Amino acid sequence: MSRKQKNSDAPVTPETLPEIPESEAWTYQIEGMKAPIIGKPVENAGVKKAVVIAVLIVAIGLSIFFSVRAVHSETYNYTQTEIGWELTKFSNPGDITQLTLDCAENDSAKPLTSIREYAFNCDDKLTSITVGKDVREIDSKSFYSVWNLQTIFVDPENAWFCDVDGVLYDKALTRVICYPIDHDAYLREKAGYKEELWPDSEGYDDAYATAVQTYHLPATVETVGALAFNYANLTTVYLPAGLKTIETLAFFKSTNLKTIYTEGAGGVIRSLPDGLETIGSDAFSYDQALDYMYIPASVKSIGHHAFWDTCFKEDGEVKGVAVMHVAAEEAQFKASVDAGDHWLPSYDYRLFKKTIDVDYGAERAQ
Amino acid sequence: MANIKEKIGTFYHEVRDHWKEPAEGKYVPYREYKDIFLAVGCNYSGNKTLEYLGFWASCYLMMYHYKLPYLTFSVINIINMPLNYIWTMMTWYIADNLGFMPKKNERKFYGVYMLLTVVGIALIVFDPSQLFNQSGRFVTYMNSLEGISCSSAFKILGTHLLWNGWSGARNIFWRKKLIPKYGRYKYSLYCNAIPKCITVILIGWLPFYNIPDVVTRVWVANLMFAIYSLFPFDNSLEMCAQNISPNVRERIWVRTIPIKLSHFLNSIISILMPVFIGMLRYEWADINLFKYIIPGFFTFCVAVTMIFAGRIKERIPQPPIERKVTISFWDGMFGVMRNKYKWVNTIVGLLDSLGNGMLPFATILYLYTFRLSGLIYSLLVALVSFAGTPPDFFSPYFLKRFSYKQIMIFYQLSRALGNAAIVLSLLFLGDRVNLCGTVCVLVLIFMEMTKTIPTTAGHDMDIRINDYQMYLSGERLENFSGVFGWFTGPITSFVGLIIPLMLLRYGFNSNWDVLFVDASRFKIIVIPIIIDIVGYVLMTIPYLSWDYDDRKQNMVMEVLKARERATHGSLDGTEAPAEPAESEVVS
Repeated sequence: MSRKQKNSDAPVTPETLPEIPESEAWTYQIEGMKAPIIGKPVENAGVKKAVVIAVLIVAIGLSIFFSVRAVHSETYNYTQTEIGWELTKFSNPGDITQLTLDCAENDSAKPLTSIREYAFNCDDKLTSITVGKDVREIDSKSFYSVWNLQTIFVDPENAWFCDVDGVLYDKALTRVICYPIDHDAYLREKAGYKEELWPDSEGYDDAYATAVQTYHLPATVETVGALAFNYANLTTVYLPAGLKTIETLAFFKSTNLKTIYTEGAGGVIRSLPDGLETIGSDAFSYDQALDYMYIPASVKSIGHHAFWDTCFKEDGEVKGVAVMHVAAEEAQFKASVDAGDHWLPSYDYRLFKKTIDVDYGAERAQ
Repeated sequence: MANIKEKIGTFYHEVRDHWKEPAEGKYVPYREYKDIFLAVGCNYSGNKTLEYLGFWASCYLMMYHYKLPYLTFSVINIINMPLNYIWTMMTWYIADNLGFMPKKNERKFYGVYMLLTVVGIALIVFDPSQLFNQSGRFVTYMNSLEGISCSSAFKILGTHLLWNGWSGARNIFWRKKLIPKYGRYKYSLYCNAIPKCITVILIGWLPFYNIPDVVTRVWVANLMFAIYSLFPFDNSLEMCAQNISPNVRERIWVRTIPIKLSHFLNSIISILMPVFIGMLRYEWADINLFKYIIPGFFTFCVAVTMIFAGRIKERIPQPPIERKVTISFWDGMFGVMRNKYKWVNTIVGLLDSLGNGMLPFATILYLYTFRLSGLIYSLLVALVSFAGTPPDFFSPYFLKRFSYKQIMIFYQLSRALGNAAIVLSLLFLGDRVNLCGTVCVLVLIFMEMTKTIPTTAGHDMDIRINDYQMYLSGERLENFSGVFGWFTGPITSFVGLIIPLMLLRYGFNSNWDVLFVDASRFKIIVIPIIIDIVGYVLMTIPYLSWDYDDRKQNMVMEVLKARERATHGSLDGTEAPAEPAESEVVS
């Protein structure tokens, strides 16, 4: 019992409270409060019961009616925009695996021009999408978490986008937009493999890794778009020498990604490209298979958590990106690079976390 | 100094002399304090450990492994909502009668429950959706629901029937068999502890999360967690210990010392557990959390609970069933509906539901903004929750200085203000993770500190509301307060869809990684918080009509005392008039 309650329960002075006769104890009405009803039947009980039941039935009915309407979604949801029609949401009824995005409501007079962010969010049935000729706006998050998507083809007449063997680019091939999450399944089939192989599977070899888990970006690419390679089953990526920007979450949770090469006129080097300027936030987060990272001197900006969780401790040894190799000297790096919070990975150290060491002024590994 | 030494010495002798036998006028020997400390502490900690496991979106098992669509949880609620009204009424009847009913009624109840069980199993095993036209509107509509198909909707309904049927029958059976032996509070532990341990272990080890089809994963997870929740491991020993003695002063003493201290065991576990989790390779996303760490901690808690539970005695005499006051359903219902203050609380609760469906902001902050794990996570969580303790010492002053109305209005406004500060920090400092996170944690600490006194006030208000109910109806009718939920339930179910539908639009579905996308995380956190702020501001309005002041409370107490005198002739030797009636203590 709290002190306050004790105070409330304290004897009350007779000037403020009237004496309550025992005979009126069950019927005494306190001023400003309702009268007690004890041992008496409720007035108009029948009517009141009917009202309560009616209110409940109506409330439950309305709730179910509106809820049922609210949670229902059409397979395709479109909105009209200034330039045409936008696909805002696709809800797979369960049997659609291939989709062509050319017009709204099957009406060729309503050309589809935009695909909204998260339009296919978490779909696990779609395997192939074909982008129609009129589509000119695709958000970097449009194909987010389309788990079984193998290919995104683009109508050759489309003036804004194109595809390179099922991988989505802008028309000028300067920006890679989306490497479908399950693109390796497409490459596997193309290379004649019947099933998915893992490093500890029988038959897994370099040929498989090269055919299915390796990707070369075209030489013209300058930007790896946001989320472009997230969740990709790749072990090796060849970046072009002219790459300037790796946007946010570009290689997020590409957990098998082991090696990043840059290929150009000067041959192949094991590093991010020398002309790279920006590494976005979470660009390589959770890529624990990476075992070497070299930041070239050209880098001017690194987003927060860019290499988050790319290392881990196993058997007392730090694995993954255990040391960050940086081309610039420490003073120069700190003066010229806008580095976000926690851009370096950290690992378990006793009961806390410890950030990995940085090797400033490092030479690139061969 | 000498005085303190003397007091310690006296206390030592007191404890030593009455270690096994209680002092005169008391009922609980000090040895039982030790048992209460360990048993209640482990019961409470085990119960808290289970908060990591549940069929809800923010459970880490759902988040990282089952990956169920967020909206599906709301859809399942809607499927189950109408039938819940029937089960509630049946459960009230059984709980109020401690499971003892006339034979005829008992047979009827068993019959209904068994029928439900059979129908439930049939709906799960067979596929009634095949009876419908597969291209018809009904099947098409059901198939369009997020994470659900027509076939799985019947299985979900079947699970609901099976759960209610089986748990209802079990409830009658165990209450009847075990209450006479173990008492009304402890019996539940004896029939549920072992099956609960088994289900906790199975949940981690059964690889249902690998089922590729999301629709199947949904109904299987729903069924699995339904079976898991058949065996509650509630904090029943604390309830038992709170009512351990007929001596009211001794009860307060037990509540204050061993029970309060026992909660430290949970504090230790809630610091230790994240440290162990931090050692896992994938931390919160590591399946070993559910295979080893949670079952390990839980089983330990259950074992200690069960060892010491038997040594705690229930000493409140149970009145014979035939002397229990029985109130008709409609009398109870109309009785509580006359209580203006219950309506105030109901409207406040209704407005609070505007925030239903919101993601746990603090979890998102810790895991996705701060990326915390291990000891640092534990310490920060402990720091925030501890922030509420110091203001507790000032509760008496504030409760005396300010009215309940003022305190509750301040509380809602402080929550609105705190949330507004969080929105502003996310808006202007979002890119600077450390600074933004620090501001948010400071705000959380502020909100925790401003919560303590209103929480105490809220408890006092609830007691007063029930005193007032006693004045109005002659009974506290605590169970019947549930009828307000009948009216608000349909509204809150619908309102609870608003935020999940908005989150779906902002990209939040079954993949929580979307919270790593800065722009999306901002919308997913901020928009629901803004809705919540509106709710908090609106929640001040009902409190404006709160006019139940000290004078009215004193008057009510006077009336209750007068009734007590009229009944017993004297108040001497009787329980305080504000104590709940036996029939209502039960549930």
